[in-house]
Amino acid sequence: MLKQPYPTVMKPYGRALVDLARQRPEILCLSGDLSRQTEIDLFQEQFPERFIHAGMAEANMVSMAGALARRGFLPFVHTFGVFATRRPLDQIVNSVAYPNLPVRIVGFMPGLSSPGGPSHQAIEDVALMRAIPNMTVIDLADATQIRAALPSIAGVPGPVYLRLKRGEIPVIFDDAHEFSLTTAQALIDGDELAVIASGMMVSSAIGAAAALAAAGVSAGVVNVPVIKPLDAEAIRRTVSRVSAVITAENHSVIGGLGSAVAETIAEAGLGRPLRRIGLRDTFAEGARAAPPLFRKYRLGTQDIVDCAWELLRRPGPPPPVPAIVAAEGEYAPV
Amino acid sequence: MTATNALTPARYADVIRLRAVRMVAPHGFGYLGQALSSAELFATLYTGHYDPGRDSLVVSPGHYIIAAFAAAPEAGLLDEEALASYGFDESALEAIGTERSPAVDLTCGSLGMGLSGAAGLALADRLQGRDGARVYAVLSDGELEEGQVWEAALFAAHRRLGMLTVMLDANDSQVDGPVSSITTLEPVAGKWESFGWAAFDVDGHDTLALDAALRAATADPRPAVVIARTSTTHGLTVLPDGADGHFITLPASLAEAALRELEARLA
Repeated sequence: MLKQPYPTVMKPYGRALVDLARQRPEILCLSGDLSRQTEIDLFQEQFPERFIHAGMAEANMVSMAGALARRGFLPFVHTFGVFATRRPLDQIVNSVAYPNLPVRIVGFMPGLSSPGGPSHQAIEDVALMRAIPNMTVIDLADATQIRAALPSIAGVPGPVYLRLKRGEIPVIFDDAHEFSLTTAQALIDGDELAVIASGMMVSSAIGAAAALAAAGVSAGVVNVPVIKPLDAEAIRRTVSRVSAVITAENHSVIGGLGSAVAETIAEAGLGRPLRRIGLRDTFAEGARAAPPLFRKYRLGTQDIVDCAWELLRRPGPPPPVPAIVAAEGEYAPV
Repeated sequence: MTATNALTPARYADVIRLRAVRMVAPHGFGYLGQALSSAELFATLYTGHYDPGRDSLVVSPGHYIIAAFAAAPEAGLLDEEALASYGFDESALEAIGTERSPAVDLTCGSLGMGLSGAAGLALADRLQGRDGARVYAVLSDGELEEGQVWEAALFAAHRRLGMLTVMLDANDSQVDGPVSSITTLEPVAGKWESFGWAAFDVDGHDTLALDAALRAATADPRPAVVIARTSTTHGLTVLPDGADGHFITLPASLAEAALRELEARLA
């Protein structure tokens, strides 16, 4: 793993998709009118005959993608996460998931990463997609993982919802990073507390674990890019070793990673105290930038530390997370 | 399709009606009205137009699957004996079409999605170089209330999917009553034309008119819609006035009278 602040790269998904499409001629790229924002202008330049602009018409785009998949194509559908899941929900269910077709729905700008207000903040996309039978749900953390994951994602026989940050993408993992569709990944070992995180909250969890370690708390971090099907065995193994658990997701605490972990813990009868970091059943709002929203809605690194401190009943104030200054072109979690 | 050659489309339509009555009768109610209104539409489409080995068939409103099943034996898509299981537990012939429904390439229980699927199939035919393959999509007029239909109509015209033909069963029937009492769709043809489609507005129980419209639709380079003006009680005089065309109640005595009427006409 690299150290914070992380270097960033632009369009790792767009480049990985182009590379994959060179080897997989059946890949088609569908756009819902956000081509540059979803990094697929790169695909359009390389493979114009395999690029289908569906316009701002998500319902038609998703049902059409299902029909193309029936004929042996591998359609990747692109728009923001809100429009990818809320608008065409019935189409995703009936045209894609129920027939179990290999359509990849790629939703950008998760949770509070958009300062554009509730219309643009996908805070329940994981919950919606997770509730649909046959659907695989993936929330990736960094550029290395995106490149490593894409070939595996292309190989999933059924539908996939892929949730991606937009814009500058941090590089958290080094080139040796391996992506697995089936196994969650212990990034840091710890025997008092487990922080289970996905997507943009993975880097926050890493920062929180470091701050807790400096204060004498042994906190582990588990990276869960595949929220469904969840690696329940890894969750059970991790949770059984610690006395408390925190989940961290850039999403509502209802129906996402936190819920999935809670269900696993409860079904296993493990009975560990659990706190879920995420949006607490509320809409956020528009702002000038995203970081103030992460602070206001308590999705910051410090919030994980504070939560751990209270959960473990440590005396005194929680340790402050050292400020990490990110220069232009670098990324540090809030 | 040698079998269908023995049947004129008009007679084939009555065969569809007779089979639909037999399929609905054991249940006492069902989607008979859809078969009655679309019988000539399916009969004409399956006589000299739709080729299952070359073309794709989308039945967008899943409850119209009864008509596709009833028409399927002549096209070699289903054994006639199988129709007896329609609507029963564990039957592959569910009353509302699903992924397991035979005899069609795509059907949708949730309305408004079929034209998007048809556009996807037409696009796949083009990308995969299947020259001459056509996609026929049966839609209903009530379904035009769904915005997705118009998203798909825009897309198909923009991509010049001329191999795509919509057969629109305009029977003026939806769950809450006549479509025209709920949403004004007229001018239906004008709407499709303004979207870049060729539109042919015909009497949907006139097989000659339907046949001519299908030929014109095929010849036109644009995607085309055949608007078939129909009635959910057509071809069955024994049905009482005011029968709910969306979901007809068919008690045993009425079913018997319906069978007698159709069998007499086909004798």
